[in-house]
Amino acid sequence: MGIAYEADLENRIDAVLALAMLYGITGKNEARNIAFSISRPNIKAAQFADVVAGFYGGRAAGGFAMIGMPERGLPADASSLILATLQRKTTEGGPAYTSNISRVLDTADNAVLTRNQLLAQNDGNATIVLAGPATGMAKLLGLYGSRPQLEAKVKQLVVAIGAFPSGPPDTSIKADVAAARKLFAEWPTPLVAVGAEVGAALPYPGSSIEKDFSWSPAHPVADAYRVNQRMPYDAPASALAAMLYAAHPDDGYFKLSAPGTITVLDDGRVQFTAGAGGKHRYLIADPAQTELVTNLYTGFVSAQPVRGGPGRGRGAAPAQQQQQQQQTPAPQAAPPKPTDSVPKPAEAKP
Amino acid sequence: MSFITGKSIPRRAFLQGVGATVALPFLDAMSPAFAAPAKAPVRLAFLYVPNGIDMKNWNIEQEGAFATPFPRIMKPLEGFKNDMIQIGNLTHNSGRALLDGAGDHGRCSGSYLTGIQVKKTTIDIKASVSCDQLIANKIGDQTRFASLELGMDDSRQAGDCDSGYSCAYTNNLAWRSETQPLPPILDPRALFERLFGTGIPLSPAEKERQARYRRSILDFVMADTRALQVSLGPTDRRKLDEYLSSIREVERQLVKAEKDSIAINPGLAKPYGVPPDFAEHFKLMTDMITIAFQADQTRVVTFLMTREGTSRSYREIGISDGHHPCTHHQGKTDLMEKVTQINEYHTKQLAGWLGNLKAAKEGDSNLLDNSMIVYGAGLSDGNRHLHEDLPTLLIGRGGDFLKPGRRVVYRRETPMCNFHLTLMDRMGVPLDNFGDASGRLDPASLT
Repeated sequence: MGIAYEADLENRIDAVLALAMLYGITGKNEARNIAFSISRPNIKAAQFADVVAGFYGGRAAGGFAMIGMPERGLPADASSLILATLQRKTTEGGPAYTSNISRVLDTADNAVLTRNQLLAQNDGNATIVLAGPATGMAKLLGLYGSRPQLEAKVKQLVVAIGAFPSGPPDTSIKADVAAARKLFAEWPTPLVAVGAEVGAALPYPGSSIEKDFSWSPAHPVADAYRVNQRMPYDAPASALAAMLYAAHPDDGYFKLSAPGTITVLDDGRVQFTAGAGGKHRYLIADPAQTELVTNLYTGFVSAQPVRGGPGRGRGAAPAQQQQQQQQTPAPQAAPPKPTDSVPKPAEAKP
Repeated sequence: MSFITGKSIPRRAFLQGVGATVALPFLDAMSPAFAAPAKAPVRLAFLYVPNGIDMKNWNIEQEGAFATPFPRIMKPLEGFKNDMIQIGNLTHNSGRALLDGAGDHGRCSGSYLTGIQVKKTTIDIKASVSCDQLIANKIGDQTRFASLELGMDDSRQAGDCDSGYSCAYTNNLAWRSETQPLPPILDPRALFERLFGTGIPLSPAEKERQARYRRSILDFVMADTRALQVSLGPTDRRKLDEYLSSIREVERQLVKAEKDSIAINPGLAKPYGVPPDFAEHFKLMTDMITIAFQADQTRVVTFLMTREGTSRSYREIGISDGHHPCTHHQGKTDLMEKVTQINEYHTKQLAGWLGNLKAAKEGDSNLLDNSMIVYGAGLSDGNRHLHEDLPTLLIGRGGDFLKPGRRVVYRRETPMCNFHLTLMDRMGVPLDNFGDASGRLDPASLT
């Protein structure tokens, strides 16, 4: 299964964790990372995504990863989560992380990038995960000729937005209500929503940050977690649930609602109406699986990079990334040291 | 005689004789007295070079106005730096494998102007109507030929030319329909006869007479020429003389090429009259494009300089290896150098043609100003078969539309079809969608 991921990295630490999880899953050949986009026009967030890509997969000298980003539309936040991580210094005073992305031209349009990478997938062999505003997905829906392509290629769309069956307004939806409305109304394949209640029930344990990342002297995701909020804290993580479900939809880690239809209200809340013909479902946390799911979270998120880049072999990174990796596989971030202490999520399956 | 004297001469006037028709260039006498000068039409030509380009010696370092010396392959074009825009980061996703495996050469040329992923087959070919033909369909009725399709390499339409892709994909740029490519004219003589023939077949006796005496096409239209000259002012007379001289020069080149073709390499598998020398062939073909543009015989040209995947050698510059094998250099410096030399040789030829277009006056401007010449390839790095950052030059002003003299870079993965849509707009054929376009190029970036 190829996973295309779009996320609001600057405002959601769970979206950052889910990016690390995607690399972890890809490194274990349990899915393929086919495209990544940030959902707001923020060059700093693109740099951060590039740093993470470089950390896991390596980049050519002077090169950078293929990152999708909208050119305009939503306000660009420069959150401390991103900035503080990018500004981290080494003990020698140099930058701990570097990115050669410096301007919008270094990125691709998020809708076009996702569309292009989907076309390289076998029919029904791709899943899209969204953890942020729906602006890019709405644009993807509007690209000429994209609907039949989406129908053919995308098995399902998993969105980590909203609250189900009811809840407060969602920040990602409020950021672009029209886009979210279009997404739920027009998306042509099955859609699974992961609400805030799942994120609250299955948070990412803050203790993992100190315990599971010790193999790396500098880890951009762990650093982002630390600056996001005063430690220690457990981060609500609906994006992680969405990513885990996207990669392992049939493994019983979660329950699913009955089918129905999700509609978006003006104030950013969502409403689920059950109905046999509906294409939407929402994810339900299963208390019986809490420990297992948490172990999977920490195992995938803290997994070490696989030498040779993510997705080699059975799983493949986007063509452009592969080409860059072939030039110089060495990551620019501090190279992590091997360790045997990483949990093995795949072995922990029920 | 097909022109009317007394008042203004119609734009579509031509000189006629037995078996010959010579359309006229734009003359002052074609504008009615006291009327605003007629606006010259905009012409569009696509020149395609195969097997990618050595991008390190192609891309100009700085964006914006050209301020740094041109890299090696662009160097021959330095004299035209105020006439061109170098464009970066255009991508043809439909040229990529997209599950179809090997065959990047077949795919990239098939998709170059059609904007779609062509069907991998050698039998039941399927592409789409190319953007040049969409334009020709709309404006082609204003000229004698809706479009001209030219080439210099190989016009096979059947067989496997790349890993299961039909030769129809590598050997054509223009597609009239999903299943009907428009094969290019390779033979300069055939092009000449197309441009200056009446379209009415000559009798065998007339043909023989023409051939025996090798008479100039101008001899056949002599009576009309004299009559026209009398009615023209001195400026127009000079313009007409220059124009007719250029036709005569093409005829001389043709005769020479035909002799050389037989004398130098009688075994060469090329149509009769195709010059063995690349530069000579290119000059003949582009001289005739210039004449066709000058006389408004057509406004749309596609020109496949050599076919995608070609293994043509360039002995005239000391390269006996095939072009395609050289591009798969795998980092070997001697092969990389040969690729650069071939790319450079191509731009040298292009520079020669641009000079002719610029020298062809048209009212207060010139033919180059009133044209949009797209020079590019369907691959960037031929060694790795990359379909992004495709080398693209947009030359000319498109009739006071473009603001050349700079390098413009778009975002990564920007569809080449966005560029095609923008060109179609300028040619008066605005479409909602084309291929995998996600929109138009930002007009402010080019104009």
